[in-house]
Amino acid sequence: MTELALDIRGISKSYGDYQAVKALSLAVPKGAVYGLLGPNGAGKTTTIRMILNIIAPDEGTISLLGRANTDVGMMDRVGYLPEERGLYKKMQVRRVLRFLAELKGMSAKDADRGIDSWMERLSLKTPEKDWGLAKVEELSRGMQQKVQFIGTLLHDPDLVILDEPFSGLDPINAQALKDTVVDLKKRGRTVIFSTHLMDNAERLCDSVCIIARGDKVLDGTVAGVKAEHGGNNVALSVAGGSETISRVLSDHQLVERVDDSNRFFEVALQKGADPQALLRRLVEAGAVVQRFELVQPSLHQIFLEKVGATGVEAGMSGHG
Amino acid sequence: MAKLWVVIKREYTEKVRSKWFIISTIFGPVFFAAITILPGYMSMRGMKNAQIADIRILDATGAGMGQRVADRLKAQHENMQRLPVGRGTVPSVSTASTVLTVEPEKLAAAESLSTKLVMSKESQGYLVLDSATINSKKARYAGRNASSIQEMELIQNAVSSAFLASRLESAGIPAARIDSLTRSRVDVSAERIDEKGRGGSGLVSAIFGFVIAFLLYMMIILYGQNVLRGVLEEKTTRVAEVVMSSVKPDILLAGKVIGVGAVGLTQQLVWFASAATLMAYGAQMAKAMGMPNMSAIVFPSVSPLLGVSLVLFFLLGYTFYSALFAAVGAMVGSQEEAQQAAQPVMMLLVASIIMVQPIMFNPSGTLATTMSLLPFSAPIIMPLRMSATQVPTSEVVGSLVGLAIACWAAIWVSARIYRVGLLMTGKRPSLKELVKWVRYA
Repeated sequence: MTELALDIRGISKSYGDYQAVKALSLAVPKGAVYGLLGPNGAGKTTTIRMILNIIAPDEGTISLLGRANTDVGMMDRVGYLPEERGLYKKMQVRRVLRFLAELKGMSAKDADRGIDSWMERLSLKTPEKDWGLAKVEELSRGMQQKVQFIGTLLHDPDLVILDEPFSGLDPINAQALKDTVVDLKKRGRTVIFSTHLMDNAERLCDSVCIIARGDKVLDGTVAGVKAEHGGNNVALSVAGGSETISRVLSDHQLVERVDDSNRFFEVALQKGADPQALLRRLVEAGAVVQRFELVQPSLHQIFLEKVGATGVEAGMSGHG
Repeated sequence: MAKLWVVIKREYTEKVRSKWFIISTIFGPVFFAAITILPGYMSMRGMKNAQIADIRILDATGAGMGQRVADRLKAQHENMQRLPVGRGTVPSVSTASTVLTVEPEKLAAAESLSTKLVMSKESQGYLVLDSATINSKKARYAGRNASSIQEMELIQNAVSSAFLASRLESAGIPAARIDSLTRSRVDVSAERIDEKGRGGSGLVSAIFGFVIAFLLYMMIILYGQNVLRGVLEEKTTRVAEVVMSSVKPDILLAGKVIGVGAVGLTQQLVWFASAATLMAYGAQMAKAMGMPNMSAIVFPSVSPLLGVSLVLFFLLGYTFYSALFAAVGAMVGSQEEAQQAAQPVMMLLVASIIMVQPIMFNPSGTLATTMSLLPFSAPIIMPLRMSATQVPTSEVVGSLVGLAIACWAAIWVSARIYRVGLLMTGKRPSLKELVKWVRYA
């Protein structure tokens, strides 16, 4: 087993009567890209704040890179991009970045060097214009996001925590973020990010953990999670005869659940149901089948299935 | 703590670089110089411009008082002209007043004629002296300049002096003696005496005390609210969360309070340095502007005890209030809410400053003693008392200790509110919720 970048054991946090996180345990190996998935209000941000020692858990322990997260200097090795982003508006961009780097224990000189290379890389510094000399409030939203992003990574942290990093990003910045995450992984850094966008998680993450209502629903590698839930899913694409097709798909003897994306369906079959039977029924119903493929479920499907279940019966833990 | 230093450095350099700081630091002394020198200068100019020699005097006393008043007005006027005020000389109009001796029964007619003359600007005003002047010491004046305090004072002096002269004359004193008797003027200078002996002028140290109290009040409000705004900015821009992933909120709070306090001290240093320069060269400057008497403004000697305690009271007072202001900033979500939520804190400060006047009149009374010992008013009231009177050292020390304890308590409570509040959004907490924050943080 590889060394753990993050080892959370049985942490809980309550605010008055409301329990935000319930006895959560997580293990993130070094060098992994790890997704913390869950609906809004699941306890993701609370968990992240506890990892960052911003708030203390009521119970349980958190270790980072083999040491307690409350140890002096531990936070200097972590980079954090909060969900709600913001910078000192009246401050010069360079000064903000230098301040954030110095807070992480970097010298001003090292910070300056890092700022230059990052600013150039994200095209905030070009021969024509150096945005580093402008005040934060003079920058566009997209540029401010880039600056915030630099602030997170400037001190070259071993562990990077991104809380809902894709929310509010334009497509160009979103792509830059993905590229950077891949680059961080290549350089052996660990990235943990929370999101409720399953597509991004599925493409980027090695491992995921789904939490809902403060509870862990399931965790594991993306491949593993899919394998456990897979086998009985059909990716379907059809043309024509919509009325009859939907009657077939709503037959609960055969179909457990359908995710209808208009031209594309992801069908979860009932346990033991025969996919061939479904294909026959569809053809009989007059559907022109363009695609019929047995697939592993998407994370999105798994998420809906799992979180939907706990939605009905709170406290029901993951499978197995 | 290296990180504390980073936070302090940011607070300090960003504030010192701001336009607001530069403007207030430079214009503060200019403003103070203006308010200390200008009034003296203006009143000198005003005196010089006073043209009260050419009024009409309606004398119905039948005792020749009108001429006496005119003589004295003329003498005063000539004295005034000798003052070397201003560069240009004011053109002196007719220096002699017109004295009209009228019969008491014709006085009304003379008055209405004079009124017309004043209305047509042929005369500045007229003074009525009649039997009431002799019997009940009353005279009347009507004119364009009736609202000028200085000019009315000159007229009043002239009439009083003339009245005294006529009384002396009726008592049988020779006319020659009367003149010298009534023209003599006595200057009363006030001197303060305390246990250590005589020292300084009473008025100057009262003004000094008031200035100090007011300055402390201004600085505490100014920089306390500065802390509030800083906390609020960090909260509303959400930068707080990034910063708190690097430093503990207590260090962020401490750095902010210390950094802003250092900015305040810097500003005061600049101000005191320029005040000292003004005092040192003030007399020359005043002379250059034509005011020989300005050397009368002397800084009262500040004893080392007073000096040290001034700094201590400022530091502790500022810390106490800025901790409270920081808690307010962490509690609220917008500038408008902050205004409202800061009210209770402001009330404490205002309560101290409105008591400044009564305390200055009675700096050793119960009110003064109580308020100089209560932590919330001590930073303002104790320095005021110390400059106005001799305060027992035990009281000064007691007040400082009480304030220091209150500071500690304020920081303790505020740090807790700050820790929770900084990451909270939404509704402002009720008092009950606040107590919860403090207990669980």
